[in-house]
Amino acid sequence: MENSLNIHIHFGGGAELLFDKIKKHVVELPAARKYFPDTDIEKWRIKELLQWIKDNLLKERPELFLQGDSVRPGILVLINDADWELFGELEYELQNNDEITFISTLHGG
Amino acid sequence: MDLIQNLELEILELREMLKNKEEDLREAKRNKFSKSYDNVIGTKSNINIGNIPKWAIERYSRQILLPDIGVMGQEKLMSSKVLIVGAGGLGCPASVYLAGAGIGEIGIVDYDTVDISNIHRQILHTESDWCKSKAKSAAESLRRINSNIKVTPYTIEFKPENAVQIASNYDLIIDCTDNVPTRYMLSDLSIITKVPLISGSALKMEGQLTIYGYRESRNEKSSGPCYRCLFPTPPPAAAVGSCSANGVAGPVPGAIGSLQALEAIKLLVGRNRENLLVGRMLIFDGEDMTFRTVKLRPKNPKCESCSDHATIKQLTNYEVLCKMQSKEKDLDLNILPQSHRISATELSKSLNTQRHLLIDVRSEAEYNMCHLEDSVNYPLEQLYGEKFDLLVENIKNNDNVIFICRRGNDSQIAADKILKVLPDAKIKDLSGGLHAWAEQVDRRFPIY
Repeated sequence: MENSLNIHIHFGGGAELLFDKIKKHVVELPAARKYFPDTDIEKWRIKELLQWIKDNLLKERPELFLQGDSVRPGILVLINDADWELFGELEYELQNNDEITFISTLHGG
Repeated sequence: MDLIQNLELEILELREMLKNKEEDLREAKRNKFSKSYDNVIGTKSNINIGNIPKWAIERYSRQILLPDIGVMGQEKLMSSKVLIVGAGGLGCPASVYLAGAGIGEIGIVDYDTVDISNIHRQILHTESDWCKSKAKSAAESLRRINSNIKVTPYTIEFKPENAVQIASNYDLIIDCTDNVPTRYMLSDLSIITKVPLISGSALKMEGQLTIYGYRESRNEKSSGPCYRCLFPTPPPAAAVGSCSANGVAGPVPGAIGSLQALEAIKLLVGRNRENLLVGRMLIFDGEDMTFRTVKLRPKNPKCESCSDHATIKQLTNYEVLCKMQSKEKDLDLNILPQSHRISATELSKSLNTQRHLLIDVRSEAEYNMCHLEDSVNYPLEQLYGEKFDLLVENIKNNDNVIFICRRGNDSQIAADKILKVLPDAKIKDLSGGLHAWAEQVDRRFPIY
């Protein structure tokens, strides 16, 4: 499909419990314009990906994954194994075959 | 009964005697080793053994051989002081290797006592340490491993009031704790005392490891991020798991604790930051056996704790900051009024005369482990949407509904949720949960 993107989405540290206990997902995102038809959104950024995850993958208790328009405190977001802060967080524009990881921090010992 | 009591008493005495003998032996060894060291220095010898004593070369030779450590490194290890906070699943393996490596002084803090459910992962404690202080039990084991080091057990709760004074005496803090408030406290403590922090955590099949508040020396500013740089806001309590509620495979904290010890050794001998987990985090998943090292953000130039504009100059109340308790066992919710609660003894009587709908809100894994006969499982974490509606329908037609969980907290939360939509429902919560049931009604029920 034109302008569609293949993205690897990875959940860990307990975050996978909100996603049917599945840690690794490979997804194909349609063209952003098609997914958000009534908007002027043309590109997939993390911000749009969160919306897509909420619509398509999130099975329960969205408040344990999202807070406002971002992820909740205590979840580390990684873009290809590096902290999303290094890439502009929500504004990062997804590239084909990116791996986006959401890891809940652990506190047990 | 007399036989058992007599044997227990006899064993206790023998153990005490053994402990004293061991202490005598340690003392004797200490004297002998220091004398033989003096002898070598005192006489003209053509043996050049460098700056550490003969016994230390013999004892630590396998690690001294490593270019990463060497004689210089061993000297540094022997003059280092390490504080381990938590004598549990992480603290045990971490301290075993540090004691073995000959760290000069090890302090180990834990307010808790050894429970039988700890032993599958907390490798310094044995069956005979049951109910003993974890810090003391760990210290005794460490002294048996290495009688040449100083081990100080702190059998106290590590709190803002005592943490600074204790930590200031050490060169390095190892975070082997099990809760969010203490983790925030240790991060601030590391910045205030300028002592770096090696932070490990483990739950279920996963573990995480990184170094916070790294600095080249005490006189320099920290150059790596602190916990608050990464996590300025604490997570919601509902998102935080614990070993006692979610479980943990013993070797997982075993692996992370061992690697904490390795990072500690590297840091103490002076390996540079590129070789240490500074600004990087190791993420281990035992489920598919993957280790990943991910790149973290740098120090936050606006961090409340470690930046030049820091506003946190002293430790604060971390249970308030995190809106959760550091000691899970102490949580004693009182959400429901007395009219909606029932004691285990009362419930047991009532079960003999009337039909009840017993709703167990623990996780499926806990329910499968042990449950009351005829109880049904509606895990609290799944009480929303369709399952919630189904339960509400079930309850509508019932005059005797009892909510049950392990300690009587989650059952109140669940009952409260139902009462919000069915204010007149005939619901009671088993006060004190299955633990109370085991204590008051049926001792055969496992307390886990």
